Amino acid sequence: MKLSRIHKQTLTACATAVLATGLSTQTYAADVTITMAAPDWPPTRFMKEHFDKTYKSPAGHNTTLEMDFIPWPSFYERVAASLTSGEQKYQMIVTDSQWLGSFVEGGYYMDLTEEIKADPELMAIMEDLHPALVSAYSTYPHKSREQLEAAGTAIAPDTQYYGFPQFPDTYVTFYREDIFCHEGEGAAFKAKYDATFPCTYEDWQDVDWERYAQIGEFLKRKKGEMLAGETLEDDFYGISYQAGKGYDFSSMQANAFIWQHGGSIWDETKAPEGQAEGVVNSEASVKGFEHYLSMIPHMPPVAKTGQMDIFVTQELYMQGKVATTIDWVGLGEPVLDPKTSKVHDKSAFGPAPGLRKEDGSIDRTGNIGGQPFVLTTWNSDEIVKEALNVVKWWLAPDTQLEAVANGGQSGLKSVMADPTYNDLRPWNRAHVEMIDWQKDVWHIPLFFEMLTQQQEEFDKAITGQQSAKEALDAVAEFQQELLEDDGFIE
Amino acid sequence: MASTTRSNGGLWARLTAPKNRGPLLVAPAIIVLFVMNIFPLLWSFGLSFFNYRANRLKVPEFVGFKNFERVLTDEKIWDRFQTTAIIVASSVTLQLIIGFALAMLFAKHFPMRRIIMMLVLTPMMLSFVSVGVFFKLYYEPTFGLLSYFINFFTTEPFVLLSSSTGALAGIVIADAWMWSPFVMLLVLAGLVSVPKYLYEAAEIDRVSPWRRFITITFPYIKSLLLLAILFRTIETFKIFDIIYIITEGGPGSSTESIAVNIYRMAFQNFRTSRSGALAYIILFIVIVLTNLYLYSVNRRAAEEDL
Amino acid sequence: MAKQREIGKAGWGRSLFAGIVGFVYFFPVLWIILTAFKTRTDALEIPPKFLFSPTLDNFRSVFFRASISSDSSQATNFILYFFNSIFIAGTAVLLALIIGTLAAYAFSRHPLRGNDTYLFIILTTRMMPPIVVIIPIFLMFRLTGLAGSYWGIILLYTAFNIPFSVWLVKSFFDELNPEIEDAARMDGSTDWRVFFGMCIPQIYAGLAATFVFGMILTWNEFLFALLLTGVETRTVPVAMARTLGGEVGVDYGLLAAIVTLFLIPIFFVTFLLQNQLLRGVTFGTVKK
Repeated sequence: MKLSRIHKQTLTACATAVLATGLSTQTYAADVTITMAAPDWPPTRFMKEHFDKTYKSPAGHNTTLEMDFIPWPSFYERVAASLTSGEQKYQMIVTDSQWLGSFVEGGYYMDLTEEIKADPELMAIMEDLHPALVSAYSTYPHKSREQLEAAGTAIAPDTQYYGFPQFPDTYVTFYREDIFCHEGEGAAFKAKYDATFPCTYEDWQDVDWERYAQIGEFLKRKKGEMLAGETLEDDFYGISYQAGKGYDFSSMQANAFIWQHGGSIWDETKAPEGQAEGVVNSEASVKGFEHYLSMIPHMPPVAKTGQMDIFVTQELYMQGKVATTIDWVGLGEPVLDPKTSKVHDKSAFGPAPGLRKEDGSIDRTGNIGGQPFVLTTWNSDEIVKEALNVVKWWLAPDTQLEAVANGGQSGLKSVMADPTYNDLRPWNRAHVEMIDWQKDVWHIPLFFEMLTQQQEEFDKAITGQQSAKEALDAVAEFQQELLEDDGFIE
Repeated sequence: MASTTRSNGGLWARLTAPKNRGPLLVAPAIIVLFVMNIFPLLWSFGLSFFNYRANRLKVPEFVGFKNFERVLTDEKIWDRFQTTAIIVASSVTLQLIIGFALAMLFAKHFPMRRIIMMLVLTPMMLSFVSVGVFFKLYYEPTFGLLSYFINFFTTEPFVLLSSSTGALAGIVIADAWMWSPFVMLLVLAGLVSVPKYLYEAAEIDRVSPWRRFITITFPYIKSLLLLAILFRTIETFKIFDIIYIITEGGPGSSTESIAVNIYRMAFQNFRTSRSGALAYIILFIVIVLTNLYLYSVNRRAAEEDL
Repeated sequence: MAKQREIGKAGWGRSLFAGIVGFVYFFPVLWIILTAFKTRTDALEIPPKFLFSPTLDNFRSVFFRASISSDSSQATNFILYFFNSIFIAGTAVLLALIIGTLAAYAFSRHPLRGNDTYLFIILTTRMMPPIVVIIPIFLMFRLTGLAGSYWGIILLYTAFNIPFSVWLVKSFFDELNPEIEDAARMDGSTDWRVFFGMCIPQIYAGLAATFVFGMILTWNEFLFALLLTGVETRTVPVAMARTLGGEVGVDYGLLAAIVTLFLIPIFFVTFLLQNQLLRGVTFGTVKK
């Protein structure tokens, strides 16, 4: 952890300097342009549109938010190239939480701890943000939610804060009401498994992985068979979740199983004592990953290719080829759009299933998605101040409610508690229920190397080239060596 | 030609003097290439002797050949080279066969030839990205055309990309489909340039079609064909987008080419220096292969001249 | 000039056969074009829809996109990107062809010391996976202010095309008979006249082929365009990427619509130069 220590000092020094000069600067009106790198999709498009409509600079500046909309599939490349080349083009950046380590250690993302401490409004926002989000989106070196909550204050000691939620995302269950509320199917399911065929939100709250697997088995039908009173023109499947080789398209779901079974991924908050070997491939972890793999045979045939990513499951669901899918809230909007979805009027949303514990409750621990946005390190005091004003504007309850109504999502507890919130979008209730269960993967700069290797080993297991145990053994061995090399494990 | 008047002795005259004409004409090409290509290459060559990572603030240290050593001793890398070699060999072979067959088909004038040929030329005008995306869709077991047509004969869904061989085949087919027209055009350019009287002479001499092909046609297409092989091999060696989109290198790592690997190393893992080392090893291998190839081509040419 | 070479003739039988082969070969492209006129749900329909009610929605969304929070729609700047693609690729390929032809002539007629080495070095610049040089080029572009400008990306594409131009054009020059040129010089022609009046006209077909190949290789370039063009100089392949993922996976219809529109210019360039391409190398005299 040598690097981060050096780095911490530089950044603290910078932040103090910023603070000192910032206080002595007089406020005056000026033209301020903030350029922000953003993925090209509705939650960021809305931010830009709404900014142009409603933002008034408290400092009296004439502020422009210049959004560089970059297509999602090339977003990482563009941002990485811009940052590492020293281009210094962006003042703010929307980022995946996992990239924090890479770009903080590279000296590109600004430590905002002192700014937050000095500003009661920002303190209030931090207080109001869901702690799971603060943990995943803001802290580096990463602090767990428990560590933050133990501190008892909005800003925990010895913790650096970087980001604020731009789009907090969780996965929920998308399901077909016309099938799950069909009486004949419900009775048949009841007869076969002696269990409720989940139709309402409350029913889905009681669905665990065992039930989910039963649904998968029950609804797997061949072309020509009957489904909910109609003859099928094509093979039909009951369940699906992400199992793709690309980016993080299997880890996000597999991690959930591993955590629910009491297993663990390498825990960066325990560095440098926390090991990979024996933890990543512990018995519980292997059991969890086996459980994840066990359901894949019930899923559509593309699962065999290791290409069933979050978009493929969404596509299969929207085309009416599968009865449920577990997918990100961020991919929910097209499901309700008749232009993209054949099931736009037949869809409902519930929490994602979990593992039944001994006391009968369900453990839904999941891997958080979504993106925070951050400030960069090369900005003048004036820009920093104005960027923080933009942060405050974005995280004001009015803006957030408007964002939720337009396909966004909020991480503010007060907004999620708003009486109108649950009815704004059909998945909101599930989102609130799920957000409490969220943890995150690693944030250290080695994140991508660990993820790619893990995705590859997982993919071999998904496509039947090796067992769950072999996959996790390979992951553990690789991580142990990699992390020891870099001093994250001593 | 050598009698140049040096009387005016101006700079322009000296520059354009016949003995300087070669360097003068080559200079623009070399300058542009140096600035835009060779200089950045040397830069990353320099970096490959350090332990630089673009996402760390630490001042890079000189580590000598450590990066090269690390890359050369990594089994995974050799595995990726093998995968790349398989893809290059099968795709280029397929391109040659299809390209050659198409060229023979279009080597004569026939009605509507221009229009029909445009149909064949179109694939290489598409982007890698769109070819990747749509071939992935064609191969998809639920929505894909391929499994739809195959399902007339089987009941089980046809899942091409579920095995290593299938996935490799899927990639090779997409790549070869896209670039066979390239080979066709080069071969065709040679075919149509064979002077007709040579064929007429052959006809009088009652030469067999095969003999006629070897002795008359082939010499005309040879140099362009060799160029086609050279360029297609070099380009296919860098195959990236099609793989990245269709299989992401999967299932497991069975279609992960060296270019995909170097992309991950350089841009995702930020092993900036190590990826430079790997790139130079690739360059070295390609240079050796190309030299062997050119050497054998030249030797054969020399033998024929004797 | 020597007499024009004639290739053999074939009848309608060949047309039919070639037509079938051509159709099969073209089918994946045809499917893309059909997809451009389909709604998303139709595009993914199984059994595949050969007959469907065509929609122009995809083409509309190429040029306009709906606003998130209101009913208005915004222009997507696609026309600018389209122009950029034509301008950047056209200029770069033409430049590379000129520079490459000069060099190719020199390599063929005025060999330098270490001629083959130079030729080989030129070729090696094409062998490197582009990702390796991205960071240095990115830095260089930023330092020189070339990033985001037309000249930056044009120069880069020029460099990108030179190796191919040199090698291909040289192979055409090599096919010409230098004795004819020497004879012309004896008769008092200047070197410039020999070059422009004799050599160039004989390899028109080769130049056309090189231009078409260059266009095809440059037209769809993505990585450098993504990283080195700005908002004003963005090309179509970069803009195309927005159809590959976001709130849905691939927007097949929109992607197909962009692909179809983007195919038109390069298709016509190829079609117009096809005669040249097919005339092949017309040798001044019997091959040396």
